[in-house]
Amino acid sequence: MSDKPVSNKTAPGPYQPVMHRYWWLQHRYFRLYMLREATVLPLLFFIGCLLYGLYCLGQSEAQWQGWLAFMAQPWVVLLNLLAFIASLFHAKTFFELFPRVMPLAPAGFMIAGQWLATLLVAAGLIVILGGWI
Amino acid sequence: MKIETAQPKRSDEPIWWALFSAGGVCFAVVLPGAILALAILPALGLTTGDSLSYARMADMVYHSLWGLAGLAFVAAAICLPLFHAAHRIHHGLHDLQLGGGLASKLLCYGLAALTSATGVWLLVKAWVS
Repeated sequence: MSDKPVSNKTAPGPYQPVMHRYWWLQHRYFRLYMLREATVLPLLFFIGCLLYGLYCLGQSEAQWQGWLAFMAQPWVVLLNLLAFIASLFHAKTFFELFPRVMPLAPAGFMIAGQWLATLLVAAGLIVILGGWI
Repeated sequence: MKIETAQPKRSDEPIWWALFSAGGVCFAVVLPGAILALAILPALGLTTGDSLSYARMADMVYHSLWGLAGLAFVAAAICLPLFHAAHRIHHGLHDLQLGGGLASKLLCYGLAALTSATGVWLLVKAWVS
């Protein structure tokens, strides 16, 4: 005896695909897709740090020193390191999309150009904020 | 035969897509350098002595290029990446069968807008005073 009623219908009902919440775990391509979606989580942490810093800068010198001390804590550095890695992973996927959406030049050329832009901006920010200018 | 004359409903998706793309460019081009310069190198002691001192940073954020440098940084490192993140989270919630409807859309983009406004407000408030 089964709990389920036995159907006498000859035609099946409407097709209802079964999809569970962790469908993306079953294939490497979709795991990488979800990983890319997750790159914004450490990004949000870093943005939170920036907003906190902006707030402290607007308050007083003591508050700003407090922000610098906050940013030097190991767990904050670790999460920001994660944000850095996430930004590079995001950049790789994003740079590969651009030549496909807008093929202005050979793909390899465009991807290299975008990495160069990232490198130049990073060099500029490090030189200016690091106090070498 | 009835001919359809009603205008199709205009989608608001281009707005979110444009903000997502602009934020994605910022996340890929500006954020790696910003994270290195503000969070990783100073913590490792790899910057010159007083490069992040209060006087130098306040001057740079509020006064360089008539304050436009600070505004550009807030836009590129805070506001646009926030809308990028909102888009990814909104669609990620749909993928996890936790959202993706109007509620998560309002929540994600609403929080991004509110937080962006807070960032600009923090800058302008200190700049004016």
